[in-house]
Amino acid sequence: MFLDIDKRRTESPALTDNEGNSLTYGELVNLIRSAGKYFEPRTLIFQLCENNVGSMTGYLAAMESGAVPVMLSAKTDKKLLSDLTDIYEPAYFWTPADKAEEPGTGYEKIYEKYGYVLLRTGNRHPLNEELELCMTTSGSTGSPKLVRYKKGNLYANARNVAKAFGWTEAERPVCDLGMQYTMGLNVINTHLYAGAHVFLTSYNLFSGDFWDYIRKNKCTNFTGVPFSYDIMARLHFERMDLPFLTTLSQGGGKLTDARFIQLAEYAAKNGKSFFADSATTETSARMACLPPELAVKKTGSIGRAIPEGELFLVDDEGNRITEPDTEGELCYKGPNVTMGYALCKEDLLKGDEFKGEYHTGDLARFDADGDYYITGRRSRFLKLLSYRVSLDRCEQLISQEFGIECACSGNDNRMNIYLTDKDKKDEVLSFISKKTGLYERLFKIYNVPRIIRNDSGKIMYSRMDAENAD
Amino acid sequence: MSNIEKYNNVFKDVFRVDENELNENYNFKDVDSWDSLIHLTLISELEAAFDVMFETEDILHFGGYLNGIEILKSYGISFDD
Repeated sequence: MFLDIDKRRTESPALTDNEGNSLTYGELVNLIRSAGKYFEPRTLIFQLCENNVGSMTGYLAAMESGAVPVMLSAKTDKKLLSDLTDIYEPAYFWTPADKAEEPGTGYEKIYEKYGYVLLRTGNRHPLNEELELCMTTSGSTGSPKLVRYKKGNLYANARNVAKAFGWTEAERPVCDLGMQYTMGLNVINTHLYAGAHVFLTSYNLFSGDFWDYIRKNKCTNFTGVPFSYDIMARLHFERMDLPFLTTLSQGGGKLTDARFIQLAEYAAKNGKSFFADSATTETSARMACLPPELAVKKTGSIGRAIPEGELFLVDDEGNRITEPDTEGELCYKGPNVTMGYALCKEDLLKGDEFKGEYHTGDLARFDADGDYYITGRRSRFLKLLSYRVSLDRCEQLISQEFGIECACSGNDNRMNIYLTDKDKKDEVLSFISKKTGLYERLFKIYNVPRIIRNDSGKIMYSRMDAENAD
Repeated sequence: MSNIEKYNNVFKDVFRVDENELNENYNFKDVDSWDSLIHLTLISELEAAFDVMFETEDILHFGGYLNGIEILKSYGISFDD
């Protein structure tokens, strides 16, 4: 069975949600077997996800039967859902029963469980034999682009991440990241593989309900994207009494050095473990992690590859970099590398294009011990007056100098700098001009009410540019 | 500017809503756009506008337009003018 769920102790608790549902591994195995019969092999299913047992039932049943879920949020914008439906023509929807009308009317109801229904649309088209699941690309909300997972990707990643992190059946992870995202699904898969007790929740970090939920259930592991940790810092979590919470791990984008240090020191002082790591949707989530005992010493490091994986750097000519502290593009090889992308339903027939190797587009270096550090984004560069200027570096410089939040974007004629702090406008302008050695007219500063971010905390530069176009 | 005007302006800026929508029904549970990012922005903007620092419990229980006024009152901000 998927993730070896049927090899865990049948009486151990497996899944709990905040809607009052709870299942043991034995009950989960029975549920997967009985629900799996309704999920037709080699058909495409739009899975409209919520973090609850009903949503998990559809996902695990599809994995069991060989149906191919496309993981989408149940809160997907109606226009986007209808566009995606037109493009990919799913054979089924697995959707919350109270939203059964949203994908369209006139569909036949095939099966119902835990508040979810399976709807048949009557569409049908062939899929590649190796295709296991599809996920939207996390960086581009609103895009119909999907990442194509191949059979074995999720299992390999669950097994190797569980090993790298040392998860056991004693873990009690809380998962507030949506299961339609690569990191949310990774929290669930790795812990089910370990035989642990997964606590799903739809509560957000800013609600008292979330903290009551993890206190009541004595959750031991929390995984957050950088934005999660921004919120937790705002809530002064270091002052909260959370004795049961022993592991904090990071996923999604890169933490700022200041936040990294704060988490590493908090963990060290309070006898907890902080795992920094690196994950992409194209590698079925995590590729690397830094052992917690190194976190205080190696600020900003993502550590080394997980078992069965390999990290390496290539230079602009595509040659492997062998010298420490030399910047190059971060690449990864391993059994969790997916097959490629899809932009239309015909692409779902395509075979493996990545062939086990993914070039992340991130710039990185490794130190003398072989631990990796992400230093920037390959494509996040401007050529101002033919000088190569790193947008990420400029963001870092400004936020370090002034202690304020900012976002930098632009084109080869001009850099846009978005600031939420309007008093700093002139100072930032002269500072960045001095730092880059480029004159002030090449920079345009915008005062904005907020830096727009997506659900995983990544800055949405194109939206910032669109909303502030002059 | 009176404190209620200041308070309304923060809501109008953060949520981009009209003033006539701001009433007892303007709550976290009923406003779809009220996500974590909005919440973080709202709290920061209110702290700046009223020069206060909210306690964790107040940030967690800031659940709506009316209840926010009660929370600010507990920090000595008067809405009587």
